[in-house]
Amino acid sequence: MGALPFEGIRIADFGWIFAVPHATAWLGALGADVIRIESTRAPDLVRFLTGTDGKIGINRSGVFNSINTSRRSLTLNLAKPAAQEIARRIVAKSDIVTENYTVGNMIKYGLSYADLVKVKPDIIMMSGTPLGQSGPYANTVGFGPTTQAFAGLCQITGYPDSTPCGIGGTWPDFAVGTGMVFFLLAALHHRDRTGEGQYLDLSMAEMVTTMMPEAMMEYLVSGHDPLPLGNRDDAMAPHGVFLTAGEDRWIAIAIASDDEFAALAEVLGVPSLARDPMYLRLGNRLANVDSLEREIAARARNFDRDELVGRLRERNIATGPVYNAAEVIADPAFQSSGMLVTLNHGEAGARAVPGMPVRFSAIAPDYFGAPMMGEHTDQVLTELLGMSAEEISRLRANEVIV
Amino acid sequence: MARFEEYREPPRALEGIRVVELPCLDTMPFMAGAMAAKSFADFGAEVIKVEPPRIGAQERRLGPFRDEMPDPETGGLHLFLNTNKLGVTLNLEDRRTRDLLFRLLESTDVVLNPNQPALNQRLAIDWRTLTARFPKLIVVSMTFFGDESPYRDYRGGDLIATHMSGVGWETPYHQVLDLAKEPPLRSGGRQSDYLTGYTAASAAMCALFARRRSGVGQHVDVSQWLAMVSMMRPMLGVHSHEATTSAGYIRLTQRHKTGAQWVYPCLDGWVSFNAGTERFWQGAKRAMGEPAWMNEELFKTPQSRALHIDAIEAGLLDWLSGVTRKEAFERAQGQHVPCFPVNSPAEVAGNEQYAARRFFVNHDHPAAREVRMPGAPCGFSRTPWRIVRGAPRLGEHNRKIFAQRLAIAEAELKALAEEGVV
Repeated sequence: MGALPFEGIRIADFGWIFAVPHATAWLGALGADVIRIESTRAPDLVRFLTGTDGKIGINRSGVFNSINTSRRSLTLNLAKPAAQEIARRIVAKSDIVTENYTVGNMIKYGLSYADLVKVKPDIIMMSGTPLGQSGPYANTVGFGPTTQAFAGLCQITGYPDSTPCGIGGTWPDFAVGTGMVFFLLAALHHRDRTGEGQYLDLSMAEMVTTMMPEAMMEYLVSGHDPLPLGNRDDAMAPHGVFLTAGEDRWIAIAIASDDEFAALAEVLGVPSLARDPMYLRLGNRLANVDSLEREIAARARNFDRDELVGRLRERNIATGPVYNAAEVIADPAFQSSGMLVTLNHGEAGARAVPGMPVRFSAIAPDYFGAPMMGEHTDQVLTELLGMSAEEISRLRANEVIV
Repeated sequence: MARFEEYREPPRALEGIRVVELPCLDTMPFMAGAMAAKSFADFGAEVIKVEPPRIGAQERRLGPFRDEMPDPETGGLHLFLNTNKLGVTLNLEDRRTRDLLFRLLESTDVVLNPNQPALNQRLAIDWRTLTARFPKLIVVSMTFFGDESPYRDYRGGDLIATHMSGVGWETPYHQVLDLAKEPPLRSGGRQSDYLTGYTAASAAMCALFARRRSGVGQHVDVSQWLAMVSMMRPMLGVHSHEATTSAGYIRLTQRHKTGAQWVYPCLDGWVSFNAGTERFWQGAKRAMGEPAWMNEELFKTPQSRALHIDAIEAGLLDWLSGVTRKEAFERAQGQHVPCFPVNSPAEVAGNEQYAARRFFVNHDHPAAREVRMPGAPCGFSRTPWRIVRGAPRLGEHNRKIFAQRLAIAEAELKALAEEGVV
């Protein structure tokens, strides 16, 4: 399959938590040399979020290990000017800088875009923050799940006539990280054509708002402020989850046409439902959605979830089991998807972690396990900056490397 | 002679890249292809959007419509998703169309196809056919489950991907009190469609960089289901690092409220709030005016606090009941505690932070008149996101593309139009 697409591209990655590390994991797996710059003084809290085999430790976080694949780790105490100088020397040999500190931190460290173009004129730098680098509320702190509230997403997520909700999957951290890959590569494409680098200012909230056009355009076109729909959709009915036999086992069903509804009614053993004027056409079903859902719920309760899924799939209906994370992992189609890869980690050993959610017919990603804290400090400083062992131990003694 | 500074628009990052977007022909609304293509178009690639004649792409039928008057040219979703694109019509079910499509693909870098494997096969536009015929072409398929998946012939979509990925199971995020009355929940809007679009756009860029080295295109297989499972990677990490009997593992299977709730009521609405870390706890204490209860022994360490979440929430709710969203937001953020107002879409559109950054953009659209919509998903200092042209009218660029670029004779084009092919 030949060389990976980003071989020769180096990323000085000051990112932490979820979004930026997710973006650089894509690029690292495709050949970029991602150097994660971190510190034991202010470690990524994800390094302590969970453990390995019941024990927490700076190198034992299963969550960290599943996100920070395919990179090297170098520790620098950025509070020290000597560490800042080393960071700038690394940037001078890099193509891309990524970071998601609170606004102002990179300026404090002498690592702002203005500082970095002096050492690398065509550098591409991306900052990811909750609300962006400018504006009256630029100085906010937040994680994806708290920030989505500001962006409008919580308000439109929830059960009808109920409270706003946060979304699972630590939404929108990984969605934002996925988009970051596109923005970085667009900037890299431009640099390769013109020789010009640039600064990318990503506001998580703004990106989230671009992902909710139905609601935003509803307000902007009609002036109507939309409310949460639960699992419902205003172009399909039924469209929801229904309890099946057993405890807390649900099936998801989305009916996009009248024919599909007739097939559903047949499988549920109530073909007459599809001839009932209350449910005949989409407009009828939307108008009578409460009673429609009650009719379906009453039947679904008698079916085994997976059996009903199978029977509806036979009729070409959009359906699926409502999985918890453990069931997703156990699903044979997930197991055979190639998305889980077993990688070696210095302390945790061989563990299955997620790779990219896409497959390329002519690229074989080169995944490798997440680094231990500072695992590659000596290697990077020696190979990249030509430092001697004495220099490096002096930096350690002076707490520049921590 | 007077000298004028030449007025120049800023350059666009993806100028020179040519993209063809195919329509989703399923009955299930699936916006992934339109979103991926929008990402390319908004940063300067030439995107030709192919739509079925007469009915047009799915989003034209979904509204929202001004005064609830359906009009395929003025629906909000269409206006948003199709900015900066050229529009042509082709009936992919007709054989003669394939010749036109294939001629178009000769000069295309990326084709974005949101159709299911069986349909692609039937229409002879499956990735094997396309990559064999056009070795430099990058063929991006966006399917419900993946082109090679054992589930490849099953139908899915936003609801199914949400609930088969575990994301729906976790929603509302750690807030579920009553399992029977609060089923697993879909997020607002079609989040998994747009996520799949961004995933496809990112992966297509990776393939473009690969082509620079190898000289050849390839197939990029994007699965909506896996794109959503990718959001669950923390849980996948817990699964492989911890025993199923461990305390942390419980979050993979339990829907009951497990601790950190995220959204709380206050005087005039709701806020998100996180005082989970030691720093945030100390900050929250200052923001709330050092109430006595927070200094009690019960709340001394993160470990002890984890055991008394209910008491913490009661105290937090008590404080919030006396403050507005804005007060809570500003006081908490003043102490570097993550807290945000829950804004409605109308409030987002009128929000001063978004306004200061000129996030929402206006443009004149020939059919819809003045349109306002969300703008840049990311600020670029040198090659900014911008709207060069509004969403195309159905078949607006048929002549430009078919007659001018592909040199189809006028008479032939007319005949094809009469037969409903274009």
